Amino acid sequence: MIKNKHNIISLVLVLVFGIVLFFIGTDGFSAFTVETARVKQLIDDKPKFPDVTLEDSNGRKYSISEFEDKYVFITFLYTSCTTVCPELEYNMKQVYDKVPSQYKGEDIVFLSISFDPERDDPATLNKYKDFFKSDGETWRMARVPNQRELDQLLKAFGVIVIPDEYGNFAHNSAFYLVDKKGSLVNVMDYKEINEAAKTVSNILEKGTEE
Amino acid sequence: MNQSFYGFLLFIFLVVPPVANFMESVMVIHMHMQMPMLVIAGFLMARFFKNRFPGFFEKWNSNGVPGILLFVIIMVYWMLPRTMDEALTTQSVEVYKFISLPFLAGVSLRDSWKKLSSFGKNSIIISFTIMFLGLGWLYIWSPVQLCNNYLVIQQVTLGWAFLTTAIGLVVYLGYNFFIDPSAYE
Repeated sequence: MIKNKHNIISLVLVLVFGIVLFFIGTDGFSAFTVETARVKQLIDDKPKFPDVTLEDSNGRKYSISEFEDKYVFITFLYTSCTTVCPELEYNMKQVYDKVPSQYKGEDIVFLSISFDPERDDPATLNKYKDFFKSDGETWRMARVPNQRELDQLLKAFGVIVIPDEYGNFAHNSAFYLVDKKGSLVNVMDYKEINEAAKTVSNILEKGTEE
Repeated sequence: MNQSFYGFLLFIFLVVPPVANFMESVMVIHMHMQMPMLVIAGFLMARFFKNRFPGFFEKWNSNGVPGILLFVIIMVYWMLPRTMDEALTTQSVEVYKFISLPFLAGVSLRDSWKKLSSFGKNSIIISFTIMFLGLGWLYIWSPVQLCNNYLVIQQVTLGWAFLTTAIGLVVYLGYNFFIDPSAYE
């Protein structure tokens, strides 16, 4: 009987330990992969878009302050990508089409940023943008020519890019929304087009009323 | 030279940064070689702890159930895609891996396994089989990349490793069920 009592005590202790361990390890049972944890963390932290120089498909160079007082809807890609990026950009196009046109260019700018500055020069980006019928103004495609600045940006927004042996990159994808002051305010699932379009439109409606 | 010492040597070998870095660079080696080897290191070292604190195990783990539960909890924890990713990027999680797998999972498995009834042993093996099938299915057919630090192809490889391990366990269970070793003695 005494022996059993000890067994039950240790069993309960082990159970409690297990629950605490899983609770801490998954942020209260909400994030079972690093990606979900990452998105939660970003939305909590609201990191600033770092001061990096962008070079767009027209060869214009500017920093994020170019978009001051506008929301910026961002994706990260590289044009040689044959898997996720075309889908990501195609989905971005659909969000672009769904957002009411009076806001575009005035209150919101769409921006696709390449993390492969070597291959994605302005000419390549210009060709790529035509596939998606991006106008190069209200939806721009740009690279960050300086590798150090690029790394800084990817790190701030939690974009993980792993080069593989065939000149491709494995990377995580999402829609990023930066507010008028240059802070990241939302990270959205790039597969949920309607939801993303709705979220963005709502924010824009509220933003212009004020 | 006793087995606790060999277990300790194995543990030190696994902790050495070049070895650890190499094993963690491939997803399937990370989960199916490094992690089990850490458990084995603890399994071997368990004798040292049992000799040192014989009363402790007898008192708190006399029927083996708390110990095996601890083992299962630690194993399941390290099968979450997130923990494996974080072990690569977060120092404290990495340290926790090197402590929890040998000293919590390995030691308690050694102490508990013999104390379990054959029903208990079979239930543990069956649960792990089901879990491995599930994880194999998850890693192979998951539409998304579960781990940020590994390529999708590595994820699929890991899935097949889980499935083959599960098949191995099923073969063992079948063997156990159909074959009576005493018939061959």
